[in-house]
Amino acid sequence: MTRTRLTRRNLLIAGSAVLATPYLSSRPARAAGQVVIRNPGGAWSDTQKKYIYEPFTTETGIEVVIVPTTLTKMLAMVKSGNNELDIADAGYDGLVELDKAKALAPIDYAGWKYTNPDDIPEEYKTANTAGMALYATVLGYNKDTFANNSQPKGWAEFWDAKKFPGARTLQDMAAGTPNLEFALIADGVPMDKVYPIDIDRAFKSMSRIKPYIKKFWDTGALSAQMLADRDIVLGSIWNGRLQAIADKGAPVAIDWTQHMLSIQAYGIFNGAKNLKNAQLYVDYAMQAKAQVGMPRELNYGPTNIKAFDMLTAAQKANLPGSPENMKRCFIQDVNWWGNNRAKVNATWSKWILT
Amino acid sequence: MNGGSAALRTLSPAAAAAPPDRTLLLLLPAMAMLVLMFFVPMVLFFVRTFIEFQGGRAEFIALARDLLFSQPYLTALATTNWIALTVTLAVLLVGYPIAYYLTTATGPSGSIVVLAIVLPYFTSIIVRTFSWMVLLGEHGLVNDTLRAIGVISEPLPLMYNRLGVLIGMSYVLLPYMVLTLYAAMRSIDPLLLRAAEGLGASGFYTFRRVYFPLSLHGVLSGALIVYILSIGYFITPALMGGQHDIMIAMLIDRELEVAVDWPAAALMSLSLLAVTLALYAIYYRVTDVRRLIGAR
Repeated sequence: MTRTRLTRRNLLIAGSAVLATPYLSSRPARAAGQVVIRNPGGAWSDTQKKYIYEPFTTETGIEVVIVPTTLTKMLAMVKSGNNELDIADAGYDGLVELDKAKALAPIDYAGWKYTNPDDIPEEYKTANTAGMALYATVLGYNKDTFANNSQPKGWAEFWDAKKFPGARTLQDMAAGTPNLEFALIADGVPMDKVYPIDIDRAFKSMSRIKPYIKKFWDTGALSAQMLADRDIVLGSIWNGRLQAIADKGAPVAIDWTQHMLSIQAYGIFNGAKNLKNAQLYVDYAMQAKAQVGMPRELNYGPTNIKAFDMLTAAQKANLPGSPENMKRCFIQDVNWWGNNRAKVNATWSKWILT
Repeated sequence: MNGGSAALRTLSPAAAAAPPDRTLLLLLPAMAMLVLMFFVPMVLFFVRTFIEFQGGRAEFIALARDLLFSQPYLTALATTNWIALTVTLAVLLVGYPIAYYLTTATGPSGSIVVLAIVLPYFTSIIVRTFSWMVLLGEHGLVNDTLRAIGVISEPLPLMYNRLGVLIGMSYVLLPYMVLTLYAAMRSIDPLLLRAAEGLGASGFYTFRRVYFPLSLHGVLSGALIVYILSIGYFITPALMGGQHDIMIAMLIDRELEVAVDWPAAALMSLSLLAVTLALYAIYYRVTDVRRLIGAR
């Protein structure tokens, strides 16, 4: 018998060929391979696609695959030796955890050809992480309640519930870092002396404002929702979140006094399957024209100083990390948090119940 | 469901002499999925966590004791059970009349009620929770309406407190109770009620002595399902609760995502699982699963 029998095995092979055919024919880019990136998702992901992923694929032929996942899942993948990711696009505080777990490889700054490493200030890069965007935790307020610039300016005034009455919100432990820094500043600690945080003193200060906290927020969406619904009139909030509801017409604004600057960064995984592509991607993504999408669309600051040249004065005024705003902020010390988070978490769990 | 009733039919005495029941094989895909996607990962998680634990057995026991007898854990445990109990009672009170109505309804009105109960399930729970926040906030629809018609002068605190959690959870869990009760009530023979009536029993007496006892296994099943689902709740209390409304699942999440303390998270999960399994054992004993799916 010469006729091929339709065995199950043949059927499987035939099936795979059929499935694979369109994949191969429609994607000549496959030859250059791919790079797999963890991305936090949402508006962040949309903007990255438009300004970085798609131009990068056009330029290099390398396909960018997005995987939205949490820090814990990344740690689990690393520990199980089953890591599908090449790059993590994550908060610097999360990357510090991955770095502690020896999961990150050095960034090849010397090999960069798209970006001049000197355009990225030293405080935004480490051997294993490259900061690519800046966001700020700011004092957000309701413009109707505090009209004509009558809002509290800075955290000492935020803590003064007699002079500035109204329900408030602050960051919950569940969001990663409660606002102990602001509590210390409210208690009289200068901005540049906040770290190392005096945990006891910070919680004592937190206890004073606690009766006026309607709810601690654990996601950016919640803080924005409470402010937009006027359930609170004052709160700590990420600047991009506040801007998003302000652009939609909510009567809210930012007071930039004593804000905290945080870094979103890239880390490349040790043993990444597409290591070369990953290094090339990070190089590409750090250049000014790739970074400029975040400030334009989401009000996140660039880390490449050249990107500021591509922005208008009005855009710069509302950006974390702009020369003007750098004078009234401090940079979050994620290493302190990395070493003390478990302890603060335990203290928080008891404190919140009192 | 069809496979289930077919299997049950062959188990009836009349079919006792029939060959081994092959319809049970229909359950294989479901069993495989349960084992592969639930049981195996869970066991692996616990085993790996405990293997990776740095330190000896004494240290581990000390950690477990410190954790499970700590004030935050015990408070969260009490909060969790209190909320679960209240939610269970609330959905029972609201769900029982609805389920009864459904058994008597004929024509489109019954379908509309069923649709109203089931339809919200096509929306994500996060979206639905945020909708509650729009309704119940200080300047939400409820408070604004009550103020406009002069019922209240100050807004009622409906959100970001225990009441908010109870409202949100009851809403999400109500269908489990209604559908369970409905299945149980549908199998009550209406002739029994007519017989009671014919013997001169009042409506309330008939309900108390005939109808309610017959629906009791549905009440217990529904209550246990809602309770078991409640104690693992996370999103609703996190979004709608206040400072003190911390449930166990929220503590577990914090240990995993924030403190990155996996042994602690595993221990808490294990304790929650133990409670759930214990409740499930009760559930299994007091209810006849076959009656739930409408078989007689």
